[in-house]
Amino acid sequence: MASGLHSQERVPENLKKHLAFAARSIQWSYAIFWSISARKPGVLEWREGYYNGDIKTRKTIQAVELNADRLGLQRSEQLRELYESLSAGDSNPQARRPSAALSPEDLTDTEWYYLVCMSFVFDIGQGLPGRTLANGQPLWLCNAHNADSKVFSRSLLAKSASIQTVVSFPFLGGVIELGVTELVLEDLGLIKHVKTSFLDIPCHVIMNKSNIGVGSTANDNNIAHIALDTKFSPLVSCEQLEMASNSNSSDEFEPHQLEGVSLIVDRGMNYAPSQAQSWQFMEEDFSNCVHHSLNSSDCISQTFVDDGKVVVPPKSDREHENCLQAVQENNQTKLTSLDLQNNDLHYQNVLSSLFKASHQLILGPHFQNCNKESSFASWKKGVLVKSLKPRDRTPQKILKKILFEVPRMHDHELVESPVSNAVKDAAWRPEVDELGMNHLLLESRQRERINDQFIILKSLVPSISKADQVSILDDTIEYLQELEKKVEELESFRDLSESEARMKRKSQDSVERTSDNYGDNRISNGKKPSINKRKACTIDEVELEMDNVAMKHGSTDDIIVSVNNIDVVIKIKCPWKEGILFEMMDAVSHLHLDCHSVQSFTDEGILSITIKSKYKGSNVASEGMIKQALQRIAWKC
Amino acid sequence: MENSTQESHLRPDNSVTYESPYPLYAMAFSSTPSRILHHGQRIALGSFIEDYNNRVDIVSFDPETLLIKPHPNLSVEHPYPPTKLMFHPNRKSSTSDLLASSGDYLRLWEVRDSSIEPLSVLNNSKTSEFCAPLTSFDWNDIEPKRIGTSSIDTTCTIWDIEKGAVETQLIAHDKEVYDIAWGEARVFASVSADGSVRIFDLRDKEHSTIIYESPQPDTPLLRLAWNKQDLRYMATILMDSNKVVILDIRSPTMPVAELERHRASVNAIAWAPQSYRHICSAGDDTQALIWELPTVAGPNGIDPMSMYSAGSEINQLQWSAAQPDWIAVAFSNKMQLLKV
Repeated sequence: MASGLHSQERVPENLKKHLAFAARSIQWSYAIFWSISARKPGVLEWREGYYNGDIKTRKTIQAVELNADRLGLQRSEQLRELYESLSAGDSNPQARRPSAALSPEDLTDTEWYYLVCMSFVFDIGQGLPGRTLANGQPLWLCNAHNADSKVFSRSLLAKSASIQTVVSFPFLGGVIELGVTELVLEDLGLIKHVKTSFLDIPCHVIMNKSNIGVGSTANDNNIAHIALDTKFSPLVSCEQLEMASNSNSSDEFEPHQLEGVSLIVDRGMNYAPSQAQSWQFMEEDFSNCVHHSLNSSDCISQTFVDDGKVVVPPKSDREHENCLQAVQENNQTKLTSLDLQNNDLHYQNVLSSLFKASHQLILGPHFQNCNKESSFASWKKGVLVKSLKPRDRTPQKILKKILFEVPRMHDHELVESPVSNAVKDAAWRPEVDELGMNHLLLESRQRERINDQFIILKSLVPSISKADQVSILDDTIEYLQELEKKVEELESFRDLSESEARMKRKSQDSVERTSDNYGDNRISNGKKPSINKRKACTIDEVELEMDNVAMKHGSTDDIIVSVNNIDVVIKIKCPWKEGILFEMMDAVSHLHLDCHSVQSFTDEGILSITIKSKYKGSNVASEGMIKQALQRIAWKC
Repeated sequence: MENSTQESHLRPDNSVTYESPYPLYAMAFSSTPSRILHHGQRIALGSFIEDYNNRVDIVSFDPETLLIKPHPNLSVEHPYPPTKLMFHPNRKSSTSDLLASSGDYLRLWEVRDSSIEPLSVLNNSKTSEFCAPLTSFDWNDIEPKRIGTSSIDTTCTIWDIEKGAVETQLIAHDKEVYDIAWGEARVFASVSADGSVRIFDLRDKEHSTIIYESPQPDTPLLRLAWNKQDLRYMATILMDSNKVVILDIRSPTMPVAELERHRASVNAIAWAPQSYRHICSAGDDTQALIWELPTVAGPNGIDPMSMYSAGSEINQLQWSAAQPDWIAVAFSNKMQLLKV
């Protein structure tokens, strides 16, 4: 195999024809030759290609019907022209291009894929062609359309184009890439065929056995015949291919199930189970396989989605081990050249440290089940995997108890907060290299903030004994209520002394407002004007009395709510403020109470209201709620 | 608690059984090879009694004579069931062994021939009120002074047990952390109720990487096992699931395999200590299955290589490097050693 690291410009002149021949002979959708860029060394770029796939709109200027060969070449040419014109950045390409030139609408998805490939450039060692060149080994990618974009950067493109298999191998200082819209299993004979076709004079050769033969000669029937004539009949009908009849793949393919299939040549190798290639298992790929009715259950080689994985047909186990070593080493060095994105750099470092440090046992002892002393019985295939009928017990009961319940047994006073204050200072909070974790982070930050506040609250309230959130809240509420009572008491003392002073200078204006002013039509009664308007002396007495009464209660605010069935009587006494009566009535109506009687009077700055109401509807506010709501208004300053 | 004198018996299927007076959960093999001990391989057993009074017992197993011998002297009390037990991974001395247990705190014990002495209680809370009980821990076998613990307060704490001090503490997840496993001297992974497997590197505490998240969001991942023979692979189990999920740490988020042959949910997993692609799992279907992970998989999934049926749901599984031919399982009151 040509190692392609030194660029040999021995590219045949009719490269295009070679590519055409290659693609057509194996009936694949396209062939591309990537070569080292002359302008920018160390970089692979599109050099030449041939498109052999489905075509949508054919545009030719010749009236003469060309043969398939010419048509194909012309099409590829047209695609290249389209690419050049598009990449030249014409804003109005239609005007410039001749009428027979293609425009983007004329292209099938596969053609579009082929076209976009022309724009790709790969560093050596990166991307499918780049890795191929760097390794000097072919890469066979099955299920390219489902591949990870890290492995095959054009996988999304391939998906829209239905390109399922992509193969690349180094050749003549560059990389030849072939792709097809079918799923073709790995077959190195195909690659060999393409290579030999380059060396032969094209167009006239009838391929015979010796060119195609690969691997074991055990079975002469293995080798398929392709008879080609100058006309390049496009469809190599499958009946002409004699399918390999060796054990492994004999049942795999029935001719009429696959159209336009390439050579399937059985290599006649048995992959011994002790081969320790790194194994991958992707369930998606299996469903694809099943759809394609490949019913071999044994040796389906799936997407070789691995960095620089070498596909080497081993001749013997020993040789394979050596190859494997190379792979392993390759893997380890390859890690640094993985085309990961920037925010994976950290993880990359982690990985490289792990693999350097580990000494991998590549071949472990092979567990033979013929060990008669074993307690284990060998697994019987086909045992129905019915789930056990669930008993009354919960699944994973003990495990769950160990994880969920036992830790909480230790301290029933456990603070529910995830992280204590002390821990938070010392703990690191690693950033997660994943998108979409933001909401979780926000949530936990929120929790942290809440916990902080609880800590602060605990420090403010002297009476808190226990540390759990509920106790903190309870103690805080108690403390607040105590403080409020104290404040009320102090205020009442203050008011008393104030009112004594006020008595000496009687003024009337401040108290002369009643509920009238607010036009609340639910107030049917009780617009008793201020008592102060009446006899002065008696007023004073009354005031004093009232104040005394107020003092007896210990506070100037008083809200009494009495509920009797659906009747609610609310008596409010509070310092008068502008608009307070309206607010009270508003609150009452919000509490779903139908007021049918309101009495109010203001006395020396103290507003007294008696509201008789009924519960409206089923939404019943409790006594406490009513009281709270009104208290809130009464205490607002 | 009285220890009944047990004669272990060899069953026809080549397993050795020890019957304990109480249900068992935590279990650990000593790393000291049995050949240099008189009595045989030391195995620590933690009880599972839903009460304050629990015990940790040491028994010894002699693979030559196939006997399990209890040691009434080697028994200590433990507050509430120990969530995990583990011996020092590299102990050279034959006279004493170090045992660690997790529960309310990380405790270290010295196991001598005739007694167990508590060595230290590692408590990382500054005040006595806040304590974060531990769900699991792992002893770093490359750097044995390092133990990593996982806790329900979403943190993982790395201890330097020689100094008896916290090396570092990381807020690992957004919910309770259920298991932790070392990969290398400074790299560990953890699983949590938030359904993610994350890898941490102590050299770069600012970052962690999620390598897997449970497909149903917030399905807790309960256990984690890192393949010590091939650090690329890890295994984890989900809550209420019969699947063992195999992960390749180089391909985050995409499991490499899902082993789905258990007929009920899986409780414990253990990689083979001497082979890089064998793993054993045990679950509520009373079965312990040994799987050989293939290079390529058939379309119907991966079948186990061999199986064993115990008498009742298997809660614990240990496959020790010191005894690679024997797998220990614990179910109800019994501990059984199965020959592989």
